[in-house]
Order: sequence, then structure tokens, then C-alpha cells
Amino acid sequence: MPRTATYHTTVRWKGEHWGHIRMGNGPEMDFSAPPDAQGHAGVLTPEDAFVAAVNTCVMMMLIWSAERFKLDLVSYECFAEGTKLIELDRTELFTQVVLRPRIVVRSDDSERDGAMKRLQRAIESAVKYSLVANSIKSRLILEPKIEIVSQAVQAK
Amino acid sequence: MTNDPNDVVVLTVDKFIFRFPTELQYSETGTWIRQEGSLLRIGMSDFAQQRNGDIAFATLAPAGTVLDAGDEIASIETVKVNISLPSPVKGMIMEINSALQESPEFINQEPYGKGWLAVVQPESPAQDLGKLMTAEAYSSLARQQAEAELKS
Repeated sequence: MPRTATYHTTVRWKGEHWGHIRMGNGPEMDFSAPPDAQGHAGVLTPEDAFVAAVNTCVMMMLIWSAERFKLDLVSYECFAEGTKLIELDRTELFTQVVLRPRIVVRSDDSERDGAMKRLQRAIESAVKYSLVANSIKSRLILEPKIEIVSQAVQAK
Repeated sequence: MTNDPNDVVVLTVDKFIFRFPTELQYSETGTWIRQEGSLLRIGMSDFAQQRNGDIAFATLAPAGTVLDAGDEIASIETVKVNISLPSPVKGMIMEINSALQESPEFINQEPYGKGWLAVVQPESPAQDLGKLMTAEAYSSLARQQAEAELKS
């Protein structure tokens, strides 16, 4: 098994405060800075991309670990918030990223405690094995809301 | 490789630290064996558990099963891989760690303690135990395997 892999993106300046990004996995889109940093509204920004990278990677890892822990995942939705700090020298960094996933899992009533325990372990593993979460220096805070529904309940 | 005060061989490879108590013997396939009178308690080594990741399920061959050396004693499903752990000895399983059904993470948390797998009555203890390794020898093997993986 190769121990390294590479991923690519290409960005191109389009004039003014606009850019265009072509991602290695296919999608292309325009981007800018956020409006409060002389950019434009309604498009991808590096700030959103950073927070999205954490959010999407942890979600995909959670989907994987839920499968490995044999959980019947009904729904997953996660709000993520990155906090930017402007330092005294005007350099900036994301000090933390908070993930607030709402996770619904289906289980037999008799298996409820076991499903809850496995889900908590699956969440821990999702963060532990997330490539992006492992690669950032921002503090990662997870505030999950978990719901176990009985087998009879349909997905929301 | 160093010996710490509690008679444990400590192996450091890259950022990882692996511990191997010297009171135990080890198999090439990542199990440890502790002699307890005429019985053998078997578990998964610290190196094997760290290398395979967070354990989601551990399915043990039931008590009463007669195993040849090399037969599967435990099926381990981690977040990353499925592995079949072979018995290091020939004999009958006398007891299994039923706590692993609810808490397989014990293997990750305490591989030499509450994460033990099974107790076996060996059929030919002298023959089987003679094939096992000391902590020092197993640590050398673990270092070779870890360094080979780092170079790949």
C-alpha cells in the first residue's frame, strides 16, 4: 500500500479580486476573498474552503466509521464554524474549528445503549482518522447532537 | 529499544511508541502469550493493535474450540481493516474475554490487561512455546516491519 498520495488544484487570476479554481477531482468555479476582505459575495472563498475541508473530511470519515461500527445511519448534518484571529502583527489564523453535527442512527430498542456507545466511538474515530483534521493546527472542537430512533421510525 | 523500570521493552519508531512486557512471549503474527500454570493466556500485542487501528468488533472463537496452531482464534474488525488473528499454539480454548463483545476497545486501551483474548489449554506446550519469541526478539521484528513500512 503506498504511504503517500498527492492531490492538486490549479488557480488562475481573472482580474480585479477574482480567481478561478480547477480542482483535481473535477469541479471548477470562480472564487474571491470574503466581502469583508475586499472580495465578493456569493462565491467560494479560501476561508469557506478551509472550514469546508474540515467539515467534509470529518463527515466522510464518519460515514466510513459508521459503516465499520455497523451503525444504521439515518441522517447526518453538520454546521461548522471556523474562528479567525487577527494577531498583533496583522497576520491571521484559524484558532479553532467547531463542528456541530446532528446525527440520527436507527437501532432496535434492545440495542440502544450499544448503538449509542458505538456511535460515540465512531465519532471519535472519524476525527482521529480524518486527514484534514489531522493536518490543521487549529483546535478542533466537536459538539455532536445524537439521536437514536427505533427501527419503526422512518428517516426524517 | 530500551528497557523501562517495569520490565517492558520499549520500541520507538518515528512518532510511535510500542511496549512489550518481558514476562510475555510473542508470536510473529502479533499475539502475546502468558503462561499461567498449565494454561496460556493470549492477547494482541501493542504493536499489532496500534498498527491496525481502532477496534470496532472482536469476534472470538468460542470456549471449547479445539485449534491447531495457525487456526483463527479471533477475527478483528478495526476502523481501517479486517484481520484474522491465528492461534500461536495448538490446544483447546478454555475461556474467552466476553467483555470484548461490549468493549472491544479494551484491546486498544490495555492490550496486555483487560484486552486479553482467550485462555488456551495447550496440547504440546513445550513444542509450541519453543517457537515463540522473547520481548527483545519480537521488538526487533516489530522494528523491521515498521521500518519496512515507513520506507515503502
